[in-house]
Order: sequence, then C-alpha cells, then structure tokens
Amino acid sequence: MSAITGVQAVDPLALAPAIATLGTILVLVLVDAVAPAAARLRRVHDAVALAGLVVSGVFVAVLGVAATGRDLGPVAGAAVRSTVCVAGQGEYTLPTCSFVVSPLTLTLQAVVVVGAIVCLLLAVDGPGARDRSVHHLLLLATVTGALVLAGSRDLATLVVAFETASLPVIGLVALRRDAQGAQGAVTLLLTAVASLGLLLVGVAMLLLATGSLHLDRIAAAVGDPTLPDSVRVVAVAGTLLAVAGIAFKLSVVPFHLWTPDTYAGAPLPVAAFLSVVSKAAGLAAVVVLLGVGLPALGDAWSPAVAVLAALTLTVGNLVALRQTVAVRLLAWSTVAQAGWVVLPLGAVASGTPGDARQAVAASVGYLVAYGVASLLAFSVVVLLARHHPAGEDHTLEAYRGLARREPVAAAALGFALLCLAGLPPGLVGLVAKVVAVRPLVDAGVWWLAVVAAANVALGVAYYLRWTALLVVRPTAVPPTWRVRPAEGIALGVSLALCVAFSVLPQVVAGLVPTALR
Amino acid sequence: MSTFLDSLGGWLLVVLVGAPLLAAAVLLAVGDRVGDRTAAETGTAVAAGTLLVAALAAVGAAPYDRPGTGLSVDVAWIPALGVRFHLGLDGLGAPLVLLTALLTLLVCWHLVRVRPVAGRVRGLVACILTVESGALATFTAQDLLLFFVAFEVVLVPMWFVVALWGDDTQAPRVGEPSTPLAGGESARRDAANRFVLYTALGSAVMLLGLVLVALRAGTTDLAALAYAGGAGMSTTTQTIAATLIVLGLAVKAPMFPLHTWLPPAHTIAPTAGSVLLAGVLLKMGTYGLVRVAVPVVPDGVRAIAPFLGALGVAGILWGGLACLVERDLKRLVAFSSVAHMGFVLLGVASMTPQGLQGALFANVAHGLITGLLFLVVGGLKDRRHTADLEGLGSGLRDRLPRLGWLLAFGAVAGLGLPGLAGFWGELLAIVGAWNGEGALGPLARPLAVLAAVGTALAAAYLLRVLFLVWHGPNGRSAGAAGPAALFAPVTVGDATTHEVAVAAPLVVATVVLGLLPWLLLDVTAPIVRVLLAGVGS
Repeated sequence: MSAITGVQAVDPLALAPAIATLGTILVLVLVDAVAPAAARLRRVHDAVALAGLVVSGVFVAVLGVAATGRDLGPVAGAAVRSTVCVAGQGEYTLPTCSFVVSPLTLTLQAVVVVGAIVCLLLAVDGPGARDRSVHHLLLLATVTGALVLAGSRDLATLVVAFETASLPVIGLVALRRDAQGAQGAVTLLLTAVASLGLLLVGVAMLLLATGSLHLDRIAAAVGDPTLPDSVRVVAVAGTLLAVAGIAFKLSVVPFHLWTPDTYAGAPLPVAAFLSVVSKAAGLAAVVVLLGVGLPALGDAWSPAVAVLAALTLTVGNLVALRQTVAVRLLAWSTVAQAGWVVLPLGAVASGTPGDARQAVAASVGYLVAYGVASLLAFSVVVLLARHHPAGEDHTLEAYRGLARREPVAAAALGFALLCLAGLPPGLVGLVAKVVAVRPLVDAGVWWLAVVAAANVALGVAYYLRWTALLVVRPTAVPPTWRVRPAEGIALGVSLALCVAFSVLPQVVAGLVPTALR
Repeated sequence: MSTFLDSLGGWLLVVLVGAPLLAAAVLLAVGDRVGDRTAAETGTAVAAGTLLVAALAAVGAAPYDRPGTGLSVDVAWIPALGVRFHLGLDGLGAPLVLLTALLTLLVCWHLVRVRPVAGRVRGLVACILTVESGALATFTAQDLLLFFVAFEVVLVPMWFVVALWGDDTQAPRVGEPSTPLAGGESARRDAANRFVLYTALGSAVMLLGLVLVALRAGTTDLAALAYAGGAGMSTTTQTIAATLIVLGLAVKAPMFPLHTWLPPAHTIAPTAGSVLLAGVLLKMGTYGLVRVAVPVVPDGVRAIAPFLGALGVAGILWGGLACLVERDLKRLVAFSSVAHMGFVLLGVASMTPQGLQGALFANVAHGLITGLLFLVVGGLKDRRHTADLEGLGSGLRDRLPRLGWLLAFGAVAGLGLPGLAGFWGELLAIVGAWNGEGALGPLARPLAVLAAVGTALAAAYLLRVLFLVWHGPNGRSAGAAGPAALFAPVTVGDATTHEVAVAAPLVVATVVLGLLPWLLLDVTAPIVRVLLAGVGS
C-alpha cells in the first residue's frame, strides 16, 4: 500500500496495466527511430504492440486475482489498491486518492484490453497496413487513456485520461487516407473538440460548487443535506454539461451524429475499436463521474440519462432497420446498444449509493456482453470485407448463403447477431438484457422499461434479417476464404468468450461490487 | 421400476431436453453429406428415443401432487440473479411433455416420405428438434428465468422453419385468376417476421413482469413462488406483474386481439411447422399462464381475470365467425385454433379447479386434433397446391376416401363431439367459467353462455367444411386443371399407408382421451389443487 502521508506516493503495481502500454509506446517509438518506415520490421511492430497489450492484460488479471482474494474479507470492498493519495485534512479525515484499483476499474480495464487485443489482431493484416507503427502507437495511446480513465477518481485525471482516450482515435480513423476516411476523421474531430468544451465547463462548475477535484470529496459535499440550493444548482448544471461532453464517446443520441460517417469512413478494425474500446472508455467516464462521484445528485441526472437512453435505443434501432450497408447497420446498432448500456443509469433517481451501485454494475455487465458480441461480429465482417469486391462498403447481400461456403464464420456471425439481439442461443445477450432492465423494474421506472421492451423487438427485426441471409440459397458462389492466422485468433478468442459467457452468464450478471469505489 | 427411475433421478430430464438439442447440433454440423431421407430417419430415431425418455420420466414423476418435485435436477447457474438450472416434472408438465415428444416424432416420421415444398430436410429436422428441446425445457423448467430462457429458445428455429421451408406455392383462387395471392420469399419472410416480432415483443413485456416478481418475492424458484401464493407482494405489485406476464403470454397463446400473427404463420409454415406451432408453441403460452401467472401472482391474475376471460370469449366468437367465411382450409384451421385457445384462456381466467382442469385438458386435446387437421390439410395441399375450399372440390369422401375420413374425423373431434377428446376440455372450461364468480365477477355466467354459443359456431363452420369438401358429388371443380397445375404435385392419389400411419396415433389418442378422460384429469387434478391453494378459493 502506498504511504498515507502528505506526500503523494506512487504504487507502480496499481498503475501497471497503463505503464505496460505506455512502455510499449516508447519501445515502438525507439524501433521506429532506429529503422524508420522499414517494411521488414512490420512483424516486429505487430509483435511488440501485441506483447504490450498482453502484458497489460496479465497485470489486470493479477490485480483482479488479488482483489478477489482480499475483497472477501469482513470489510468488503475496502481492500482495494489505490495510489496518488493525499492525506485527510480538515473536515475530510480519510485519505483520498486519484487512482483506485477497484473491481469496477478492473472490469472496465479487462474489457478495454481484450477489445484492444482483438482489434489489433484484426488490424495487422487489414487495410492501411503501411501505417503499422503509427496505427499501433495511436491504438496503444487510446488504450493507455482508457486504462487510466477506468481508475481515475479525480476530475483532473478523468479529463486528461478521457482526452487521451479520445484524440488518438481521430488519427486512427484518418488512416484510410481517402475522402471518406478524411470526412469521418473531421466529423469525429469536430465532435470531440465541442464535447471537450462541454466537459471542461461542466468539470469547472463541479469544482466551483464543491471546492474539490477528488470524487469522494465531491460525493461527500453534494451528499451533504445542508448544501444550499444555489450551490446545488451549479453542481447539477456542471454534472449535466459533463455528461453531455462524455456522451458523444458512447454515441448517445443526440450526440451520435458522428457515428455512421465515422464508422463507414474508418478502416473496419478501427470501427470495431470505436465500438468496443472507445465505448468502454466512455462508459468508464460516465460511471466514475456519476456512480462514484455524484450518486447523491441521482434525482437530477438519472431522469436525464433515462431520456437519453430511451432516445438512443429508439433512434438507433429505427434507423438501423433501414440500413443495407453492413458497416452502417453495425454503426446504428452500436448506437442502439449504447442505449442499453446507459439504460440502468436511468433508474438511480433515489440517489442512494445502493441503487447507484446496482445500476453501475448492470451497465458494466451489459458492456461486457455487448463488447464480446460486437467483437465477434466485427471479426467476421472484417474477414468478409477482405474477400468481397466491394470491400468495406459491402451490403448485407454479400452475406447471402455464407453458411454454405464458410459454415464456421457464418455460425459465428449468426451467434454474435443473436447475442446482440438477446435471443437464445445468444444467452449472454439475453441475460445482459435481464440485468439491464432489473434496476428499472426495481425502481419502478416503467415508462423506460416499456420503451426498452419495445426496442427488443425492433432489434430482433434487423438482427434476424441479417442472420436469415446467412442461410438462404446463394445467388452466386462466393470465393473461398483464406483466413490469416491473426484473424483466425481474433475470431477464435471472441467466439470463445461469447460461448463461455453464454454458458456461464454469471460473468455478466455477477458484477455487483459490494461497494462502488 | 420406480427405484430404477429414482436412481436415474432428474438426469432423465437433462437427457430429455439435451438429446434433441445435441442431435440438432450434430445434424447442422455434418453438412450436406447427409441426404434428406437419412436426416429425416435420424430425426425420427432421436424423437422416438426422446418420446421413450419422456414416457419414463412421466411414469417416474408420479404421483404428480407437488410442483416440480416428481423428478428434478437442480444446479446453480447464475447465482447473482438467483437463477438455478432447475428442471422438474409434475402433473402440469407431464401431459404436455408427452404431447410435445409425440408430435415431434410424428412430424419427423412424416418427413421420411413427404418432403417439404422448399429446402433441404436436414436443416428442417434440426430446427424441429431444437423447437422440441426448447418446448420440453419450457414444460419442465422450475425456475422463473430458466422458464423465460426456454420460452425464447423456440423463437429462432421456428422463425427459420416458416421463413425457409414455408409453403409459398399458392395457386390463384378459383374464379379470381387475376388476383394471385402473394407468394414467394416475401410471403414467407413476412409471415415469419410477424410471428417472431409479435412473440419477441410479448416475451420482452413478460420479462419485465418476471423480473418484478423475482425482485419482490426474492426467489425465482417456481415451487417456492407457488407455495407462497403471492405472499409478500402487494396487490398493486401483483396486478402490474400479472398484467405484464399475461400480456406477454397472451401473444403466444394467442389471445384476441393479439392473434394476428397466427393465421399467416400457420398457413405459410410447412406441415411440420404448422403442427408444431399449433400443437406445441401455443401450449407454451397457456401453460405459462397456469405455471407462472395464476399460482405466482394470484391476486393480480384475479384482478385482470375478467379482461382475460372476456378476451378469451371474444377469441372464441371471432375465430368462429372468421372460420364461417374463410375460404382457405389451412387458414380456417388456424383461425379455429384461435377459437379453441379462447376456451383455454376462459378456463384459466375462471381460476376454478374445473376451469383450470378444463384448460389443461383442452390444451392437450387441441394439440392432438389440430395436429391431425394440419397433417390432413397439408396432405391435401401436397396434392393440389391449394387449400382453397372450392379449389379442393367436393366429394372428397369418394375421391380420396382415406384423407376424406381423416378430415371428417378431425372436424367432428374439433367441433367437440362427446366421446372425443375435444369435448371434455371445453365443457370443463365452460363449467369453470359458470362457477367462476370469484374471479370473473358478474361476467361469469354471460361469458359461459357466450362460450357455449361458440361451440355452436364451431359446429357450423366445421360442418360447412365437410359439406363443401367431404360431402357432395364427385365433382372436380372447374379450376382443377387450371391454376393448380402450375406446380407439380408432391404426392398424388389418396393418403399413403405412411400418411395414415402418421395420423393414426393422433386418432387413437383422441378417441382414448374422449372415452377415458380421467386418464388425463387424474394427472392434473392434484397439482391444480396445489396451485389454486394460494388463490384461497
């Protein structure tokens, strides 16, 4: 444990996952400096980046095992690792830390690392392969930001980590180097910059209202019943602005407008990265800010989130119904899925820590299910795009009769789509939907629960339309695929995770930390 | 025997649910090396084995007097939600398990000789076995959320059955050659989508109710919930939960006016699909009412029982009236399903022992009789590519005597002739409604009377069918050589021995249950008493 003194001490193990990716970035830069643009070093770049992510994942796992072992103690949830702390002073007797390794942190980090590994594997042979080192640098930088974001517990760290996880993505999108890619990158850049402004204003107002950057002190300050109404108004306004600033990253309607253009403009593995890792980072920021820092203002932000969730679900699904280009359908479906991810947060109007904890656990649980299913779907779409004359702009018709040529890939895609739809055999998706609506039913937010139920049917409509195409008789015989090892591993890993979580949905449902830290 | 079954214990149920699923997976995995005939024979063998296991389990589950304890397997599954993998067989599930296994066996056997109009048999058999597995899991699930999962399992395979193997070779109607019916892939897709969207929406609504029960009651164990009888849940909570659950199940049952998915799905589906839709899937809805609604939230169901009963009767009358004017025989049988299931809903809504017994009996009887009717109508359609009453022509009795007599038997059984299975369930449902003031209030007697009128309607429309098709001179209608000749017939001539053999078990079961109704009533009576104990009547 870090020394609890006035001096800030750093616990390297707590930061190890992020340090691993950061170190990998340095190694990559060194390699690039020694042998600039050396095509024969491509595989070295790939191996270094992959190794960095794997090491980071191992650290997450080690910390996870340690946390599980200690969490079972009588003071459940207390024994988490934390670092960069300041001693308690004045009215705050407890030390307060900027970085906390809690079960929440570790779960989000695991999603980020696994998602990044699969996306990297998909990208190594994918389009834009000339930009190996640049691609890997940008990807690792985003991952580093997301990893820190999951553990950040003060507003300054949160904002910096959030931007670290956002800005490099713009570079990734631009890697396709054509008009569509440029358009996607510009759209994303404009959204990100505007959102940064909102986030900064929101954070500043929170600081103004509570006098602290540390989330646990903010939580104590806004939870104080003697808080004057005038101050509370500032805090609520700051909260809503900050949420609006983060929402674009989750593609929450009406902050979603960049999503379809950017997904269509980005290389497909980057679209997968946006839909899983970037979204995980967005959710991390939301749950850390709202769940850890501001549960006491739940009566203010929860209804707002509820409206956003309802809009996101409905708009995303309705537009997705009409899509014919595969990647655009996936883009709109990820908008709808973002609605499911934030849905439980619409049920914290009571503002009690228990409710906030349940809702955050449900949100993160849904993210895990959505993440693995989305990775699996993208793995197959990337493969198909490489073998289709229309490339990344192929329509759903390209999937006609896929089951006859590529039964394994077709089965995997069908399974992924059913997971996203929440129908058996995609049990992980079904259980995730149960988990997501549970807090709503518990809190009696019936209007939102009914909207969610209606959206299940909307989602089923287009996911099944796609699934059906896989098995009908093909009009033309598509070429047989030559699957490269990296793509095969990506497909295998995501398929294995989907199947494992479907057999043991406890992984998705059981993310109920005893305390939210 | 009993000790042998005890030693096998609940694992018999795991085999029951798992074997068809495993066989389906193997069939899908082997690829097209397996021919149509082999696939159908494999399916038949697996279904026969499943029926044997089902029979063993049904015997082992005696004396059927406690929910979910006859035979059971109980393993933790999702501890965070309190969900257990808990399968159990009792008097409520046993008859439907046997019905499901029997109907699956018959449709697989049917496929050995009779190919569907479109598509390969291998995939169809795999879908049928998956549907069987899901239905068997639904009828044996003893956990609220496991029930829901099992309920959802049948959706995707049944969607495939209708969308891929649907019979879209619709010949134009006689006398209206200029307006051909919509056919082809779009018709199949439309029917399949309507089925899956209605049902998925219903399931999602039901899920909200189930989650509410699980949260407020603190358990998802169905036996515990039945014994608690809604204790610990306020009447308001129960009413909300009951409304959501009943709405969701009513889509599947189906209840008027949520039935509009049913006629196209039943009409387009291949014979095997129609039989399973009518004989198995509809039962899941009404079984759900008796299993997860009435005993779990009794006060809530009582609050909405008048609506349920009234809509049930509306379904009886609407279905009957639609049948009186329907020209397509397959659609007619589908609409008659709406009417028959109306009796089941009325019986459940009465919340009396007779009503519930009647509902459960009518469930099984409808599965047998409608299964038979769909087999016969499917046979007729295989020959003429039309199920239009005029297109089929009159004098079936003389032209195709075997099919004609099977149709006549199905029709008289369907109109509830005493001495056949269709009679007892509907009689008990009406009696239950007559005595059901406790739940139905002042509507009890009027609803019972209207339901009795519905039986007269059933007699009218089925006799109309017999008059138009079975009876009359051996007259091939004018359109016989015209539009119907667009498609080559799958089968010619009268019913083959194979077709008669497939239909025979259904005829025998209908007669046996009609003459010896206590065979079934004795199985369901004890469990109905237990389930209604919480109702406090």
